Amino acid sequence: MSTLVNPLDESSRDRQSPAPRLDGLEGKTLALLDISKPRGKEFLDRLEQLLKERYGVSRIVREVKPTYTKPAPGALLERLAFVDGVIEALAD
Amino acid sequence: MLIVGDQAPDFSLPRLDGTDWGLEEEAAGDPLLLAFIETDCPTCRLTIPYLKRLAEALGPDSHRVVAVSQDGGQETRELVEAYDVSFPVLLDTDLDVSRSYDPPSVPALFLVGEGGRIELSEVGFHKGDLNSAAEKMLSSLGLPVQTVADPDDGAPAMKPGCTSRHLEPAVAVESGEATTERTGGGTGGGTGGADSEPSPKPIDLLPERAPAASRVTLADDEDPYEYCMSAGFSPFLPVVPPTAERVDTFLAGVPHPPDRVVGLVPPCYGPATIEKIAANAVMAGCKPEYMEVLIPVIRAACDERFNLHGVQATTHSATPLIILSGPAAARLGFASGAGVFGNVARANSSVGRALQLVMTNLGGALPGEIDMSALGNPGRFSYCVAENHEESPWEPLHVELGFGEDESTVTLFAAGGLTEVSEHTARTGAGVLRTIAATLSMVWSWRQCGRVDAVVVLCPEHAATLSSDGFTKGDARDFLFEHTGVPLRAFDHEGTEGTQARDSYEEVLIDGEPHYRKFADPSQIRIIVAGGTAGKFSAVMGGWLAGAEGSQTVTYPVKW
Repeated sequence: MSTLVNPLDESSRDRQSPAPRLDGLEGKTLALLDISKPRGKEFLDRLEQLLKERYGVSRIVREVKPTYTKPAPGALLERLAFVDGVIEALAD
Repeated sequence: MLIVGDQAPDFSLPRLDGTDWGLEEEAAGDPLLLAFIETDCPTCRLTIPYLKRLAEALGPDSHRVVAVSQDGGQETRELVEAYDVSFPVLLDTDLDVSRSYDPPSVPALFLVGEGGRIELSEVGFHKGDLNSAAEKMLSSLGLPVQTVADPDDGAPAMKPGCTSRHLEPAVAVESGEATTERTGGGTGGGTGGADSEPSPKPIDLLPERAPAASRVTLADDEDPYEYCMSAGFSPFLPVVPPTAERVDTFLAGVPHPPDRVVGLVPPCYGPATIEKIAANAVMAGCKPEYMEVLIPVIRAACDERFNLHGVQATTHSATPLIILSGPAAARLGFASGAGVFGNVARANSSVGRALQLVMTNLGGALPGEIDMSALGNPGRFSYCVAENHEESPWEPLHVELGFGEDESTVTLFAAGGLTEVSEHTARTGAGVLRTIAATLSMVWSWRQCGRVDAVVVLCPEHAATLSSDGFTKGDARDFLFEHTGVPLRAFDHEGTEGTQARDSYEEVLIDGEPHYRKFADPSQIRIIVAGGTAGKFSAVMGGWLAGAEGSQTVTYPVKW
């Protein structure tokens, strides 16, 4: 019989429920979060246009992460707290 | 905010136990450090252990470190218990004292000195300020000066804090109402006080301690080797089972308690306690004495400048390369000569492997889940080399970086694969370097310039050629910087990687032909000497994204 020391992370973490889903896009305020990869602006410009034209999104807020290599800073997330939804977009 | 030279306003506030504490009476003409804190501010929580260390250094005068909490009694008590704080903690419940000292953010330190004048006034976490406050207080009280904020303990040198409670919008506008909610709701959470949702657990950037590892007792007929694989301890390669006896042997040689946290391992930020590191070191096949190197390796890996979060999660193949420099390498049996990147010595193989196990087991980056590397990298089994000082004509890496010859260091570089550079024909240093420069021009991607970095591993024969030609290590790096570029003709192919950023590149002439400079600065090229004495094979290792927005190479001294 041998006793082993658990080498894994045993921290308990709070379970997070997924954010509630939107019932539609009409009249909503959405944020487009550019993760700062090359050509992200080009991609999101087109997405913004389509969201307004085809889906009736009333307002688009644009934010850019300082770098795609790290999580978004807390202050940036706080600035997005009021929107109905966020589309975080990759490019390249 | 009150500044150096201002008179510190006298005040009286209740301690946690309800008794009164008055500034003038407690200071009594000797220095006293006031630290304004919020209980849920990660930077404040990072600062607490350093304040504790200062209080301990003050001995019988430990009460001269005083925290002023901007939160209610319940949250403050939880903080005091979590960090085992014994210096006085006051409750500035209505924020009147915060308003009178008026720091824009917390933590805010005010050193009240002779005559009640403020001698230090700073916000945020700064190791330099903490040491400066310690020096002033200790010397003023006739006590031996000591460093309370070790620059190499794994915590950042500085970190900004959170807005002081008295300036938060809800508090500033509706002081009374917001304060009632904040202190009565038990949320510890400032402007979010009106929200009825429970607040998340406060974030500890570098907790002092973490719970002990659990034990798993196996049945007599269970094969411990197979158990370790099936239980996810190391699903990729068999390991030495981390029996309690083996782990205890490792712990016996470490002058820290088993529950001491060395760092939180990104990207899932599991606490790397001494005990957890030891269990993974046992599994990797380390000897107990390798812990002396492995502990600073884990500190370096968890250093936020290294950005292991990104290195672990990227689709690139980068993984930490450990470069050991200094006398500890030979003392502990690390290989630095022939076959240095291969399976050549237990120390290299097992320390490199232990880091990788810590990264997956405590950092949580399992391939295909959080580790999204498209190709991976053989270095993800183990990537650890030592510098070959004996065969190097130059000062070793740790001396180049400002450490003493007798010291040793571990340097972590987010390395991709290794590309060998054969140059058996060149008889001049410049000839050798031109061949290496051609390979350097290809790191990351051919047309990508600027935000790239690389390690050049010079074999002893090439290093000797360079030295006999009069090149210092600095000369060699400068030569590579000047001669590494991508010809402008390569950019005729628009729509390929690197072309989109060409406006930011520096155009230079290399051998008469227009090029874009590959590296933004010579410091993006690091040179080490390693490998065997026969064979003119050097190597180039490209990094991940260089600089503060990617991964910065970090160096830590080998010390407990």
